[in-house]
Amino acid sequence: MEARPEYDRRQLLKAAVATGGVAALSACLDVTDEPVPTGVDDPETLPERQHAWNDRVRSDEHGNVALPRHQSLLYLTLDGDGPPTDADREVVRDALRTLDRAYERSNEGLIYSIAYSPSYFERFEASLPDGIDLPSPRRLSPFEEPEFDTQDALLHLASDRADVILAAEAALRGDRDEVNGVTLDAPLTDAMPVADRRSGFVGPGMPADRQDVAGIPDGDPVPEAAPLFMGFEAGFRGNQATEDYVTIESGRFAGGTTKHVSRLRQRLEDWYGEQDFEQRVAELFSPAHAEAGLVEGVGENLGSDSGLTPEMIEKVREHASEFGRVGHAQKAARANRDEDGNVRLLRRHVESTDGDVAALHFPSLQRGISAFEDVRKAMNGTDLTDEPAIRQRVNNGILEYIFTTHRGNFLVPPRRLRVLPRPRPA
Amino acid sequence: MFRREFLATGSALGIAALAGCGSLESRAIDIPPVLDNRPDAIYVPGHVEGMNMVGIETTGEYDVALSYSYPHRFWTVTGTDVERTSTEEADSVHLMATVWDAETGMILPEVGVAIEITQDGSLVSEETVYAMLSQPMGVHHGANFAGLEDGENYEVAVRVGATASRRTGAFAGRFDEPATATFEFTFDQETMREIRFDRLDRGGERGAIEPMPMGAVPTGVAPATDDLPGKAVKAMAGDIRYVATVVDPPAGIEDEGPYLALSPRTRYNGYYLSRMGVSVSLEGNGESSTEETLTRAIDPELGYHYGTTLPREGEQGETASREREVLSITVETPPQVARHEGYETAFFDVPTTTLSL
Repeated sequence: MEARPEYDRRQLLKAAVATGGVAALSACLDVTDEPVPTGVDDPETLPERQHAWNDRVRSDEHGNVALPRHQSLLYLTLDGDGPPTDADREVVRDALRTLDRAYERSNEGLIYSIAYSPSYFERFEASLPDGIDLPSPRRLSPFEEPEFDTQDALLHLASDRADVILAAEAALRGDRDEVNGVTLDAPLTDAMPVADRRSGFVGPGMPADRQDVAGIPDGDPVPEAAPLFMGFEAGFRGNQATEDYVTIESGRFAGGTTKHVSRLRQRLEDWYGEQDFEQRVAELFSPAHAEAGLVEGVGENLGSDSGLTPEMIEKVREHASEFGRVGHAQKAARANRDEDGNVRLLRRHVESTDGDVAALHFPSLQRGISAFEDVRKAMNGTDLTDEPAIRQRVNNGILEYIFTTHRGNFLVPPRRLRVLPRPRPA
Repeated sequence: MFRREFLATGSALGIAALAGCGSLESRAIDIPPVLDNRPDAIYVPGHVEGMNMVGIETTGEYDVALSYSYPHRFWTVTGTDVERTSTEEADSVHLMATVWDAETGMILPEVGVAIEITQDGSLVSEETVYAMLSQPMGVHHGANFAGLEDGENYEVAVRVGATASRRTGAFAGRFDEPATATFEFTFDQETMREIRFDRLDRGGERGAIEPMPMGAVPTGVAPATDDLPGKAVKAMAGDIRYVATVVDPPAGIEDEGPYLALSPRTRYNGYYLSRMGVSVSLEGNGESSTEETLTRAIDPELGYHYGTTLPREGEQGETASREREVLSITVETPPQVARHEGYETAFFDVPTTTLSL
């Protein structure tokens, strides 16, 4: 049989981050030997905002940010019940500094952030300042019963290189003591064991390559050009909050942000089987998009925004009665603008095939968690179900096809407070 | 006691009620084609199937029954568009969930339902399932599921969403939390093949197969006219039977004034017709009120109904009296429920009708 090195390489890399672990890393390193750009000598020179990724990753010709293709979410938990110790802090500080020195903070190296949950802050006697909007995760629709992620911390790793994600993880877990030429004294997991690991990917070709999983019907329906399983582009510049906007402006955590991360299982049998292209456009964007043919292919014609106009947002109720359907973007946008028309959420969702199940990991950044909750409630469209065609989940955007399995809330502190912060830092 | 017996028998309830409806043929699972010349009305389908009960579970405020039958074709309704969902070769089974109030036994037609199937913790399937209307099964939620293997055991989680209809009377404040009922289910094709399957000579005639007796599981038959509070009156339009009554406003209704509850149900079987858009106007002594869209509601006394408060007597004219008022009823949106065979052509183009209150 003829050797197919390129095919084999693609197959191997496609599963590597989802599989994770040392074996995946060594397999990965067998086929990748390009050097990875190294980091800074002095981590203090890095920017204060851990969530400032946009000018360190790729953008397309329209200025839409292209998130790193491979991502990993490590949910970390401290041992015991009390606050962290100085020894814990030393381990975490050294581990993060090692990553900063090992990898350029970019899509070609490694870009990451660490965030802390309300459960973490409950370890302390003091509570967070009043201005920090960080409730415990809760149910956000009348039909979901998600598991709540109450682990202490979330370390979010992102890179265009699968081997970088895997090597960084191996070092953090103590499976290797060196990462991109930099020695790590003690693994992160000495202080914070990994309670859960979730992997993600995003970018044209990647979903099409990975569509042989539960939730995607047979027949390879996901277009090659689509960055996401649902077959369309998302995260247009014009429909995203800026990093400035989501940044906590004042107080002890100034320079930080809040992060809601949900996991949504995707069941796209009916999305691709029962709905035609126009119906998919109507349900994802708005019926007006479908009627006017505003979306071509995966939406590559849309440029730097989704084409959603204030009129379409306002007319959601008319659309409900005229078309018997409302669009996901159209509904959610009702709560995703402030008084001045600024977008409130910065969404950084990626796809997942963990456990061979199609899912979305949905991190969203905003100044306070209630902004996310408002948008999710608007997306539920419960107020539109008095129009009988709009049901709790049917004809109601994309609710029919997504099933929320997890929700977690986190505070992403500024870099100066990223190591196991106290709720009232000095 | 009855429920326990019912569960213990494994309850292949079949379709005993259908005896006499048609001739019993072989238990072929070759489903006959959709009948030619279906009337634009409720009709007797060309065949009828029984079902097997998996079980009944109580979860939160809900009782949930899970049953199954052969994969079915059915029709979904969006506005006035009807789309057929055909069975596919990969389909293993048609799963049906019926949800009712654990306290009163009243069926809840407007909960959202999703069904998740797992095996040893691994996901096999998960779907948002449709609210459905079937002649033998009544008001339920269902869908075809693929990927089950003969003889295998599965865990089936029926996820019930909060009810979308307004809750009045003793139901005010209830049914606003989701809950999940979990069932063990063995998919056994031989057992499924034993589910009764009859072709019907009367197929295509106007009429309906009678509700199948399902023991403790309600089919969603609306309360009889005499069982509704107030002086209930009735009218008919197309295949919809309306029963209307005027009562004091139940709890959960903030407006004052008499409360009109309109209960549309199917001709023949009297099943609740849910998820319609209905508007009414009231005429009395030569004056007519503006048209008003009714609100879908659920109430332990009034059942599932469409309601609004009426202007107080006298507000419309000095001598207006309730007895002389005429209610005009218009279907703005046909019932947005998926239809099993025999219902898919009904309840569209319903003429406006009147009844005297």
